[in-house]
Amino acid sequence: MSIQKPIFNVCVTTNSFLGTGTGMCVRGLFLLAVVAALMFSPLRARGQAAGTSPVAPSVAQTDVKLVIGGDKVKNYSVGTLSIVGSSLQFATSKTKAEVEASSILDISTNEDSRQNIAGAAHLATMAIPYGGGRVLALFSHKVDVLTVEFKDAGGGYHGTIFVLAQGQAAPFKKQLIALGAKASVPLAEPAPTNK
Amino acid sequence: MKHHTRTAVSAIFPIVFACALFLIVGSLWGQSASSDSKSAQKVSASSIQVEPMDAGDVPIPPEFRIAIYENLITQIEKTGKFQHVYRSGDKDAASAPDLVTLRTTAQSFTKGSQKKREVTTVSGSTSLTLKVHITDHAGQTIVDRDVQGKVRFMGENLRATYDFSKKVAKIIRDTF
Repeated sequence: MSIQKPIFNVCVTTNSFLGTGTGMCVRGLFLLAVVAALMFSPLRARGQAAGTSPVAPSVAQTDVKLVIGGDKVKNYSVGTLSIVGSSLQFATSKTKAEVEASSILDISTNEDSRQNIAGAAHLATMAIPYGGGRVLALFSHKVDVLTVEFKDAGGGYHGTIFVLAQGQAAPFKKQLIALGAKASVPLAEPAPTNK
Repeated sequence: MKHHTRTAVSAIFPIVFACALFLIVGSLWGQSASSDSKSAQKVSASSIQVEPMDAGDVPIPPEFRIAIYENLITQIEKTGKFQHVYRSGDKDAASAPDLVTLRTTAQSFTKGSQKKREVTTVSGSTSLTLKVHITDHAGQTIVDRDVQGKVRFMGENLRATYDFSKKVAKIIRDTF
């Protein structure tokens, strides 16, 4: 609707100034249509990108435990760790924390082990007679520990520890380094396979 | 025989009574003196800045360094002794008038095993010792002590960092 008005006006002006008839009017309309199409097409494309489809995370992992250092997120919260755009994001059902990759001072990965039975159930195992709880303590699984050191907007130093399933920390480190994060220890290259 | 016992009791009783009285008075006097000296030694500061741990030559995993730092921040905030607890590099700390700075340097670290601890109860403890150094705005030393954090029986290895920071918080409560 808004496009129709200027078209009409242009047509009128060409007629009034030049007075060459319908041919000029059609040409003017054609030119105006082309110009309008060129003017509005990038805006529409940008609007679509911003409004409808959010940026999909490049690396994402569920059931990640934030051990310590989540500013608003409570310690030992379990959530989803992902890289969205150029930032590392940890989201639980209640809150979300985000760190820009460029503000990361150091990122490192480490292997550790965690017991299969933890929390309140772990306390309950202590009540098992004849040292049954001790036997259960033998069952553990390997995990990856991802540590991220970064500075906030005011320049303050922060550190965060994430515990992920085994082998899941390295893709995060690789992606964050590619996005501009610093790492004192470079990412370990996979060992060459001799066939 | 009975007469001898009575005499002995009557002779010993005043001595025991006098000793007990002396001990009570002595302990009360000591308590008041120590509380006086404690209050006299208290330092006033409105803000503290916590620097990241200096690992030096001690091989401490990064998760322990971070857990020490974050636990220290939390525990110091909990003491309520300072209006502001600044992190390292915080630009606002420069304008704080009576800022004190807390630095920690690793002295020793032994990474134990949660599995060993809970199965054997005698081995596998995780322990770390750090030098805690608090200085005032002029660089004068306020605290310079070695503090140890341990986890002996229950809990993850990182719990040693919580134990350490609780001890540092106690030092801060006693000092400020």
